[in-house]
Amino acid sequence: MSAHAEYAENVGAYALGALPELEAQVFERHLMACEECQDELHRLNEAVEALPRSVAPHEPPPSLRASLMEVVNAEAEQKPVPARRRRFALPQLRPAIAWAAAACVLALAVGFGVSELGQDDGSEARTLSAQVDDQRVPGASASLSVSDDGSVLSVNGMPAAGRGRVYEVWVERDGDVEPAAIFDVNDRGSGAAAVPGSLDDVDAVMVTREQRGGVDQPTEMPVLRIDV
Amino acid sequence: MGIASAGYSRPRASRITVIRKLARFVETGAVNYARLADEELMQAVQAGDPMAFETIYDRHGGAAFSLAYRIVGTRSAAEDATQDAFLSIWRSRVRYQRDRGSVRSWILGIVHNRTIDALRRNQVHATRRAGAEGIEEREAAAELTDVEAFRREEQRRVRAAIETLPEAQVKVIELAYFGGFTHNQIAEMLHEPVGTVKGRMRLGLDKLRRELAGAMA
Repeated sequence: MSAHAEYAENVGAYALGALPELEAQVFERHLMACEECQDELHRLNEAVEALPRSVAPHEPPPSLRASLMEVVNAEAEQKPVPARRRRFALPQLRPAIAWAAAACVLALAVGFGVSELGQDDGSEARTLSAQVDDQRVPGASASLSVSDDGSVLSVNGMPAAGRGRVYEVWVERDGDVEPAAIFDVNDRGSGAAAVPGSLDDVDAVMVTREQRGGVDQPTEMPVLRIDV
Repeated sequence: MGIASAGYSRPRASRITVIRKLARFVETGAVNYARLADEELMQAVQAGDPMAFETIYDRHGGAAFSLAYRIVGTRSAAEDATQDAFLSIWRSRVRYQRDRGSVRSWILGIVHNRTIDALRRNQVHATRRAGAEGIEEREAAAELTDVEAFRREEQRRVRAAIETLPEAQVKVIELAYFGGFTHNQIAEMLHEPVGTVKGRMRLGLDKLRRELAGAMA
């Protein structure tokens, strides 16, 4: 059996989320370079997305709506800023230490490569380069164009985040992290994401690979980091 | 670089314009959330509008709860999973991108992921569906709105397509998707080689896709 045939056997299990984590990661690596598997996965995913529509309808209790809206209304009143700030919860590590450790990992991978690429003379915009984990996203580069009313993260040479996954952008303030955006990359590995608001009090902008739709807190060390 | 093709979200200015427009309608009492499309509602949700979010819940909460119930097998666990998923949707609302697909698929995807995560975390595989809560189970009310009638028809169509699959293929697909089991666990349960299980998943999904496409044609 060829290597491709061996991987191709996993397409259905992957689409259903039935591959154990390690096998899924190995398959995702193959997927990045295999158009045949990408096409098949795209086709099978049409069937997977239909599955929730097959279930018998059940009425949720009115109390569920009431308790949900109680929390939502309370949060809407308290917080004009949409994203909830969450502590980064890497196992066994306190947040600040976790991100410091993440920074060390990146630094080991590429050296202390943070540098300000340019700052427009007199203008508010400036561009910062990223530290990139060249083990997990080999050949990738990224920069952050910073301005007062919003910034744009641009990446190049990034591998696809993997089936069912996206890249998620996080901003760090005093050891707290909060989600800022999600993005995909195209077949050339290019992608971009808007990071809303001022970055005046932001220490760093980071990116992790997360399940599609994004998550509340990072589940892995960042694949890239930009100290602001 | 093709920013749009690379998944760049809708430009802020455009979103803000729509939100301001919505805000004006709200001020004059002219906004009728029920008449807004899901994608328009999500723009208001992204700006932090709880009433728009409530409308989204009203539209999709039933499907979400039904999916969670199908996975966890008890009403109380389904309620927890649905609430958890919708709070996650509310708190991560800035991440919705309309070019990623329909709001309904996005919501059901999150509900599925969070419910399977909860299932695996709590390791309730062995005990669920065996509880006494089935007695309290009640299906949705008989009176159907047009939307509910459409959903019933959609359910019937997907189920009919599933029924054309060989039973062995249905079993592995359901154990994986609704049960949250890995292919290894399923192979062990069914006393089948892992390769057989993976093959059934692949063939079953492909057949299901073709059946659904045929039913739509």
